[in-house]
Amino acid sequence: MLTEAYMQRALVAALLLAPLCAFLGVFVTARRMAFFSDTVSHAALAGIAVGFWLGLSDPTIPMILVGLAVAFAVMWLKQKTDLLTDTIMALLLSGSVSIGIIMLSLLKASHGDIHRFLFGDILAVGPLDLWLAGGLALLVGAGALPRLSDLTLLTAQEEMASVSGVAVVRLNYLFVTALTLTVALSIRLLGIVLVTSLLVVPSAAARNVSRSLRQQIVLSVASGLAGGCGGTLLAYQLDTPCGPTIVLASIAIFLTTLGIKHWPS
Amino acid sequence: MNSTAPIPVASAVVEVKDLKLSFDGRTVLDGVSLRIDSGQIVALIGPNGSGKTTLLRCLVGLEKLDSGSIRLFGEENIPSVLPRVGYVPQRLALDRSFILSVREFLALRRKETRHWFWQSHRRTDAVLLENLPHLGLESLLNLPLARLSGGQLQRVLIAFSLLGQPDLLLLDEPTAGVDLPGEQTIYELISEIHRRHRMTVVLVSHDLAMVYRQASWVYALNGVICCEGTPEDVMNAESLKAAYGIHVTPYHHHHHENHPHAH
Repeated sequence: MLTEAYMQRALVAALLLAPLCAFLGVFVTARRMAFFSDTVSHAALAGIAVGFWLGLSDPTIPMILVGLAVAFAVMWLKQKTDLLTDTIMALLLSGSVSIGIIMLSLLKASHGDIHRFLFGDILAVGPLDLWLAGGLALLVGAGALPRLSDLTLLTAQEEMASVSGVAVVRLNYLFVTALTLTVALSIRLLGIVLVTSLLVVPSAAARNVSRSLRQQIVLSVASGLAGGCGGTLLAYQLDTPCGPTIVLASIAIFLTTLGIKHWPS
Repeated sequence: MNSTAPIPVASAVVEVKDLKLSFDGRTVLDGVSLRIDSGQIVALIGPNGSGKTTLLRCLVGLEKLDSGSIRLFGEENIPSVLPRVGYVPQRLALDRSFILSVREFLALRRKETRHWFWQSHRRTDAVLLENLPHLGLESLLNLPLARLSGGQLQRVLIAFSLLGQPDLLLLDEPTAGVDLPGEQTIYELISEIHRRHRMTVVLVSHDLAMVYRQASWVYALNGVICCEGTPEDVMNAESLKAAYGIHVTPYHHHHHENHPHAH
């Protein structure tokens, strides 16, 4: 199966993106940003529609741009208005999904195309996606690892971080940018509906058997890799949709760690 | 012979002039001015919503002032002097899914331990315990921060601030959520830190008896500074009524100390 080019691309994408999602997921869950990543992923539907409207065969770039626009809109509205963050995200999520669906219906997009983006498809990972995923993994690695202490303090207590000299606003924007790009690129594999699970499930699985943040990060990345690559291979073997298969593989890992946690010692 | 030796003047660590701040049209601080000299333990007292926490947040640049000025160590550019300030907020709203250990949290404050992720525990612990020898943290280092009791958490937050070797320590209700024996321990710790490090301490507190025992100067706040002075000056029924808006009676303790309580 590994001789087929599309399968190689899907596996490399899983190898690059699943650990990235799992690493960011530790901070996403701690900062209660799962709904935020859901908002960004659903906004991608509008980006896909814009891509089709522009006649692009690969809508990755408009998907990323719309995702970033929605992410920054959430942050800006949070700062400038007294609306609740959940309200802002619900408005932007439902608004962008509605725009996307209306545009796709006017453009007469096939159900197959929409289905692929909603639930992920091994065949959908193109060379551009791989280059972007590789670049992103390098960027996040080079950007986040030296700032791991700042990011950790920001997550633990934003005000203490600010007083301790952390550039809180800049770091928040950097984190949101990294998260948005990761989510947008992972949509190919996981699909819009399920992409958030690759952020949340590995981190929750690691949480079951960790006693420190270091352990949680390492185990979350390992769990993301196992779920991402294992799920991709399973999807090929069983001829099932890629996104749901990766999610179920990740949930199986979560249940295993939950069992280990509660195993009578 | 004419002796011209200068009279020593205590240096101002905090100078606040005519500070005004409002949220959504509601005035929280309405022309607050105060001065805190080096080496003092200063208590800010007042009822809920009187602006104590807001004032503390202004001191570390977490709030944007409507008008007025703040100088820390004679410097108006607050970010430039923040390395000399330790700030302990009222609460640590930590998600339980985030299992940051006490060791990892404390390591974030020191340059030598900022690479905790790659360092051995032994190396991190050596730096932490060398810098905080009297805080009894050894038994807490492996525990997740989100699982500490109120008293343990306060101890760790204070330790975090001390690792920055501050000259000014700001504590926002250090005994909130701490049980009675824990409260006593925290106050003893604050007193010990002040004695050992000779730092200036500003604390917000509702515990008037503690303020009476520990503070060298008291500001009673209720949007404005209602009164200020030594604990003996401020802890009388008239001054406290001005701050709290209710009658407060001092009572006599067995040791013949006047420990006022608001009720």
